[in-house]
Amino acid sequence: MPDDEEFRESLRAFLKEHAPGRAPKGAAERLAFAKAWAATKYDHGFAGPAWPREAGGMGLPFEQQVIYQVEMARYRLPAMPGTGWEMVGPTIIKYGTPEQKEKYLRATLRADIVWAQGFSEPEAGSDLPGLRTTARRDGDHYVVNGQKVWNTNAEKADMLFVLVRTGTQEARQKGISYLLIDAHAPGVTVRPIRDITGGEHFCEIFFDEVRVPVSQRVGEENDGWRIARTTLGHERSAGALNQAAFYRRIVDELIALARERGAVADTGVRRRLADFDVRVRVMNAHAARTIASIVATGEPGPTSSVSRLYNSVFEQELHEFAVELLGPFGLLGRGDPDTVQRGRWTGGWLATRASTIGAGTAEIQRNTIAEQLLGLPRDPAMPPRP
Amino acid sequence: MDIGFTSEQEELRAVLRAFLDDHADRRGLLDSDTCHDAKLWRRMATEIGVQGLAVPEEYGGAGFGAAEMCVVFEELGRALAGAPMLATAGLAAAALLACGDEDAKAEFLPGIADGSTIATLALVEAEGAWETDAVHTRARRSDGGHVIDGAKYFVLDGVLADLVLVTVRTEEGTALFAVSGDAAGLVRRAHEAVDPTRGMARLDFASVPARLLSSDPSVVETALDQARIALAAEQAGGAQWCLETAVAYAKTRHQFGRPIGSFQAVKHRCADMMVAVEAARSAAYLAALTAHDNADELAIAATSAQICCSRAYTEVAAGTIQIHGGIGFTWEHDAHLYYKRAKTDELLFGSPDWHRDRLARLTGIAPPKTIEGGVSA
Ligand SMILES: Cc1cc2nc3c(=O)[nH]c(=O)nc-3n(C[C@H](O)[C@H](O)[C@H](O)COP(=O)(O)OP(=O)(O)OC[C@H]3O[C@@H](n4cnc5c(N)ncnc54)[C@H](O)[C@@H]3O)c2cc1C
Repeated sequence: MPDDEEFRESLRAFLKEHAPGRAPKGAAERLAFAKAWAATKYDHGFAGPAWPREAGGMGLPFEQQVIYQVEMARYRLPAMPGTGWEMVGPTIIKYGTPEQKEKYLRATLRADIVWAQGFSEPEAGSDLPGLRTTARRDGDHYVVNGQKVWNTNAEKADMLFVLVRTGTQEARQKGISYLLIDAHAPGVTVRPIRDITGGEHFCEIFFDEVRVPVSQRVGEENDGWRIARTTLGHERSAGALNQAAFYRRIVDELIALARERGAVADTGVRRRLADFDVRVRVMNAHAARTIASIVATGEPGPTSSVSRLYNSVFEQELHEFAVELLGPFGLLGRGDPDTVQRGRWTGGWLATRASTIGAGTAEIQRNTIAEQLLGLPRDPAMPPRP
Repeated sequence: MDIGFTSEQEELRAVLRAFLDDHADRRGLLDSDTCHDAKLWRRMATEIGVQGLAVPEEYGGAGFGAAEMCVVFEELGRALAGAPMLATAGLAAAALLACGDEDAKAEFLPGIADGSTIATLALVEAEGAWETDAVHTRARRSDGGHVIDGAKYFVLDGVLADLVLVTVRTEEGTALFAVSGDAAGLVRRAHEAVDPTRGMARLDFASVPARLLSSDPSVVETALDQARIALAAEQAGGAQWCLETAVAYAKTRHQFGRPIGSFQAVKHRCADMMVAVEAARSAAYLAALTAHDNADELAIAATSAQICCSRAYTEVAAGTIQIHGGIGFTWEHDAHLYYKRAKTDELLFGSPDWHRDRLARLTGIAPPKTIEGGVSA
């Protein structure tokens, strides 16, 4: 294992030589571009900082994962294509069969396989344990029927990781299994859904008598709920500083916009900008505290649990304010030739509505903070916490 | 950037918390003019040496740094302890350390370190401005020394202080003088403050003999910013007390046959209070535990911490009263003490909007010339 500085140097050298330039236009070209970058990282041994080496990853200690994230964030790099590779990967690493590991892990890191997450359903969102998509056993296959919804980028996916009901409805989370399903298998229909930005970023997925080999189940039958949230150590916290840096950039760009438009002459505007400025400083401190806590105690501490809520509310208020700053130009959509900065602020204003909905709504997060961190009692009308 | 505490610092926190739980009595301050618990102050000095923690060893202190002071102020704020630390260590010792006067340091700091000297800094006048250049108090030469005339308001622990550092306008600009608390010509009147746990006074100076410490106004700016950072830690500590108290009550108080904390309206308010408390802690630790290589960085850190912590503390203190219902509105319950402390802390050392304007100047959100009035930082 190289020491921290050697590692940083080798990563910098790699990035200097291989970091790709600007992303091309067009959805298909962008996907190919993102896949090519994932393959380059993998082929040079710079993919999957938290993943174990036998899974094709780098197996870095936590401190070097932080270095990895910080160095990567210095470049504008394409994100991994698809969604959920960082969810399904750890689950397979911990609970997959040797065949599943062989088949999926390296290919996932290299983005030869692109994933989408199939958890939410029309009748089961926040109350995910109530999901109804069924998987009926038929010999060495499951036969899957039902519908998933809000599945980000599912139309680009090769594979889906899906929660299905193998037990009774009443068993709730104890009757759920975790399946890896070929997105192009007969009986699978993926339909994009237009979202409030006008774009198509998420989909609905229909399963009609889809035959899935039992060998595609991860973990035991009816044990899917427990393993669905598997993470590798504190992989996510390693990137906390980057997220703060990302918001720092947005605030700086907002300040620049306010200056350009002469809005900073207004006392109220300056004060609101000062408030956003302080909030990104707090985010940065949250990240630093979380990382320091992991290094010192092995646990991320309370800050990490509240920062998602803190960040999502921030992100919404920032964009609401940005649109106000634009004055009448806030009336213009993305496509208008006179729109400011290609509509990024109005686009962001719409897109950030999802910040308090996707991956657990703000209300559900408040329940979690109150019950898990503060120890407040659960609503007696609710089913027991899974 | 690493903003964690060492295990020794956490140990200090545990010791202090236990000590203050045993010996600090915020209710005992309510009938006192000075809000000072002399017995507590002595024990703090003799049993833990709190007053000298951050004073350099050459002046009789322990020579620790900002992290220890952050812990101390957080715990004092949590307890609402009747101890003039913010004035003595937060303001006056910071000013003495920043001024170049070696004789003054050698004369005053050892007394501060061993708890025998209570000290403060008097800045604000009738206009209520926290700017160092908004000073009308004057110094005159007299018998080879100086005497000063003027009036200072909102002086923290002003009635109590053995040593008062005073900002004074001279020909050259704003200077800092030292005055003895019992000097002839100094009249001290305790303010009747909204916050009954924080002592404040108006000081009137009529030809009071004074000793010049420094003619550099940045000494006072530095001290004020350090006091703002100390105040931020106090605010984070007080907010944490409020959250814990509200949550404990929400678990035990029953209405409609169930704990009120099982109602989402209450639960979600508690969750939001926790988000605010963690933000306050992050802001306070960031300001206290990261190095500030120059005056602007110190000012940005201090002012950012004030913006965040002031809002968080008032929000959380108000939530604590609300969650307690009628009992939260009583004199009997301590919630109002924290609520009053929270709101008045917002106004101490500059109001929230004053800090926002200052941050906008310091970070260059607005180039100075676009700001009406054109005050530069
Ligand atoms: C942009 C975006 C991308 C997404 N991507 C994916 C994806 O890739 N894969 C996937 O599986 N899912 C995805 N989702 C779905 C997401 O996880 C769900 O939308 C979310 O869990 C909420 O479920 P719901 O939409 O059914 O809303 P509901 O659960 O019906 O909630 C509606 C409202 O009721 C509130 N509510 C519900 N229960 C409670 C309660 N107990 N207490 C208080 N309030 C409550 C909610 O907070 C919300 O305000 C995505 C969603 C969005 C917006």
